[in-house]
Amino acid sequence: MAKSMTLLWGSGSPPCWRVMIALEEKKLQGYNSRLLSFDKEEIKSQEVFNVNPRGQVPSFKHGDVIVNESYAACFYLESQFKSQGTKLIPGSTEEQALMYQRMFEGLTFYDKLTAVIFYEYYVPEGERLASAVKRRKEALSTELKLWEGFLHKTGSGSNLAGKSFTLADVVVFPTVATLFRFGLSEKRYPRLAEYYALLRERPSVKASWPPHWLENTKGQDTLNDI
Amino acid sequence: MAQDMTLLWGSGSPPCWRVMIALEEKQLQGYNSVLLSFDKMEHKSQQVLDINPRGQVPSFKHGNVVVNESYAACFYLESRFKSQGTKLIPDGPEEQALMYQRMFEGLSLYDKLGAVIFYDYYVPEGERLESALKRNTETLATELKLWEGYLEKLGSGSYLAGKDFTMTDVVVFPTVATAFRFGLSAGHYPKLGAYHALMKERPSIKASWPPHWLENPKGQDTLKDI
Repeated sequence: MAKSMTLLWGSGSPPCWRVMIALEEKKLQGYNSRLLSFDKEEIKSQEVFNVNPRGQVPSFKHGDVIVNESYAACFYLESQFKSQGTKLIPGSTEEQALMYQRMFEGLTFYDKLTAVIFYEYYVPEGERLASAVKRRKEALSTELKLWEGFLHKTGSGSNLAGKSFTLADVVVFPTVATLFRFGLSEKRYPRLAEYYALLRERPSVKASWPPHWLENTKGQDTLNDI
Repeated sequence: MAQDMTLLWGSGSPPCWRVMIALEEKQLQGYNSVLLSFDKMEHKSQQVLDINPRGQVPSFKHGNVVVNESYAACFYLESRFKSQGTKLIPDGPEEQALMYQRMFEGLSLYDKLGAVIFYDYYVPEGERLESALKRNTETLATELKLWEGYLEKLGSGSYLAGKDFTMTDVVVFPTVATAFRFGLSAGHYPKLGAYHALMKERPSIKASWPPHWLENPKGQDTLKDI
C-alpha cells in the first residue's frame, strides 16, 4: 500500500511535515520519499510539475490519485486508512468540532508565522518596509497569545483539541516546531513550549524531523523578541 | 435541531456564505440567523466576541458547540448531519481526493482574490504600492487560469470536483461569485462563467445570496481587465 505512494518534499517545510506525520501515524512507512532541495530549485523541476502544476511541495501521489495540498492529503489519508494506525478524527462531535476549529485556526497561525519569518521571500526588496515587519510581528504575537490561551484551557499535557492526539496536532505541530526553530522564547510561551516538548518525543514526529535541523541544531533568532 | 443553531454573519462575506450554503444543503433552515453590519463594526461587538475571541464572522454555535472557522463549520455540519440533506463528501477515493484537493486550493484562490479586491483593507495607506497591487493582480490572473483549466478538464456542466455537487462547491463557489461581483469577465473566463451561471440557480445558493447584492445588483468593475 505504502509502496504505491510517493511524497515529494523539502526539509523544514511545515506543509510537507504535516503529510509525513500523517503517513507515520497511519502506519504507511515505506512510501517513496523524495527529498528535494529548495536551494537547488528542485521544487520547480519537471518531476514536481508532473505531479503538481503549481510547482510546489508537498506533492503526493497514491497510485493514480494525486493530492497536493497538505491538509487535503491528511484528510485523504485518515479517510482512506481509517481502520489502521492512530485514529486521527475523534468519534464524539464535540471533540471533532474543536479539532476542526483548531485545524483551521492553524492556517491563520501558519500564515502569521510565515508573514514574519519568510517576509523577504514573499516581498521584493524594493517593497520591504520596517512598519510592515513591525505590524506582522505584532499580529504574530497576538496570535501566539491566543494559542497559549487554548492550551491553558485544555490543560497541562493535553493535545490541541483535548486529551487525544488528532489531525489538529498533525497539521499544527510543524508550525509550533518552526516557531521554536526560529527562536521563539520558551519562557514567554510556556504552554506552547510544554506542548512542543511533549510532541517532539512522539515517534511519528521524531521519524519525520527535518533532516537539516538534525545536522544543524542551532536555529535562528528571528523571533527572540516576540 | 436547527433551532439550537446560531450563525452570526455579514452580507457578502464569502466565509459566512460557505456556512449558509452548508446549512441549506443539510436541510438545517430555521437556524437563528444574525445579520451584522460590517460598516457599523458589529463584527467586533460583544455579541461576536462572546462566541469568537477573534471578533470575526462567521461565528457559529450549535448548542454548546462553537465552530467559528468556515471550513471547520462545513466539515462539522457534514459529519454531524451525514444522513440528511445533500451528501457533501463522496465515498470513492478518487472523487474524495479531488474534492479535498480543490477545497484546499480554494483557500489559495480566496487569498489571491482578497489580495486584489481588498488590497486597501489589508494594507495601510502609507504602505500601498502600485507594484504590489500589479503583482497581486498578475498572481490572481494565473490562479484563475488554473481554475478555468480545471473546469475545462471536467467538461461542460460539471461541478468543481466532478459530476456531483460536493463540499468543494460549498466552499469555493462564494469566492467565484465574489470575483464576478467585482467585475470578472465571463468573456475572459467562459468555464468559470458557465459554472457561476449553473450554480446561481441552485436553491441553497439562491436562499443565501448576499442581501446587499440583491438590493444593488450592480457590482464593481475592479477585475474587468484581468
